[in-house]
Amino acid sequence: MKRFAFFPGCLIPARHPAMEFAIRTCLPKLGIEIVDLEGASCCPDPIYFKSKDKLSWLSVAARNLTLAEDLGVDIFTNCSGCTATLSESYHLLQDEDLRARVNLRLRRIDRQYRGVARVRHIATLVRDEVGYEAVAASVVRPLSGLRVAIHYGCHLLKPSRIMQVDDPNDPTVLEKLVAALGATPVRHRNWYLCCGKACQAEAIPSNMMHDLLGTVHAEHADLLCLICPTCFGQFDHGQMKVCQQFGEDYHTAPIYYFQLLAFAQGVPYDRLGFERQRFKPECLRRFEDATDPTVETCPTSSQTE
Amino acid sequence: MMARAKSNDDVVRVDFRFRRELARKLEGNLASYCYQCGACAGDCPAMTYSSGEFNPRDIMLKVLYGLGEELLVEDSILWQCTNCYNCHERCPQQVKPVEVIISLKNMLADLDIYPTVVKRIIETFETTGRTTPLSPAIDRHREHFGLPPLPPVPVEEIRKLIEPAPAEGESS
Repeated sequence: MKRFAFFPGCLIPARHPAMEFAIRTCLPKLGIEIVDLEGASCCPDPIYFKSKDKLSWLSVAARNLTLAEDLGVDIFTNCSGCTATLSESYHLLQDEDLRARVNLRLRRIDRQYRGVARVRHIATLVRDEVGYEAVAASVVRPLSGLRVAIHYGCHLLKPSRIMQVDDPNDPTVLEKLVAALGATPVRHRNWYLCCGKACQAEAIPSNMMHDLLGTVHAEHADLLCLICPTCFGQFDHGQMKVCQQFGEDYHTAPIYYFQLLAFAQGVPYDRLGFERQRFKPECLRRFEDATDPTVETCPTSSQTE
Repeated sequence: MMARAKSNDDVVRVDFRFRRELARKLEGNLASYCYQCGACAGDCPAMTYSSGEFNPRDIMLKVLYGLGEELLVEDSILWQCTNCYNCHERCPQQVKPVEVIISLKNMLADLDIYPTVVKRIIETFETTGRTTPLSPAIDRHREHFGLPPLPPVPVEEIRKLIEPAPAEGESS
């Protein structure tokens, strides 16, 4: 088993524990051991606290990175916001002057940042450390015929000089991860758009979501797959608001990739917390015949195939 | 906008005091490299969906002229940025317009000017170390998935870290 520190952030553990459950269920089956980071705080978020004071933002991010350094492991994130903050901080702190300034702050709490723990979004981690074939091999319910639209969001890929994940103009990582489940990835015309959550003017994100959901709808996708809890909120609650505001009948259920993976690996539909979603991925029910009854709770050991 | 940058004799007067203050913020100095090509604007979703009202190229030009008074106001246009990083991706000069915009927001914070939502989330982080505070309902929801309660964050450490220290030359 390869060991990696899990940086769950704020939103998923508090608002979407079903996503955390899915991650903790999936990864051991893919040969990844999760190490919890004791004492981790908010990353801090790249929209609100970063807007107050970048040096404080960077110092708190550096503190979080030192927790993984202490354990001698690399970090994976499950939220695009945490990915943006921690990856950018890792990148910025390669500058020696800036690192010295931040270490001056860290000295107040007897910590020092060394720059040895890498940061990756969980989707990138699975691609690089597990591989698409091993993901496919873990699937007990191939999602054949399921049309899955993809939403990359912004911070998995950009800024590409810092993230170094994929071509931001023609990415493939999520398409291939979805295809590994036996489903058919669908690239809709507005695939590259932002979810708009950070924008504090109401008209911009709602017009943007209207356009984006319109192209997803036009492709007759069964689901909209994403990898960020903030994007999820925009496509679940936000989709309802767009329908009300513009009189549309959009109803494409959003789904966090690792819940879809957990389902494909055999976790029962009813264990995955979909009942809380405004738009529920009921289309998955038709694959339930191949249920693997061995998965009932968070496993502590893997059942690798 | 140009009219305000020009004096009566038609000479552009640049407010370097504002630019120097911005340059003290992390990556706030990068605007100096902007040559106004507009690559950022072409791929900006906030620009597309605000019909051009939000325009990162225009914001960079205001910075170059030192027109802080047009940007550092209540309900500033800066808050329309979606933080998508397309401008960072496109800029041939590596200006990182989104980072300059966030540095400008840091200047707004120095003036204690925030949108209400933003201020509330920042205060939650500063008092709890999280953007979503702990609650019994959250822990019950987690228990449903066999997950342990959320562990507390050592908030004292966070408070010590975010305390400004101008004497150490850290005041950004």
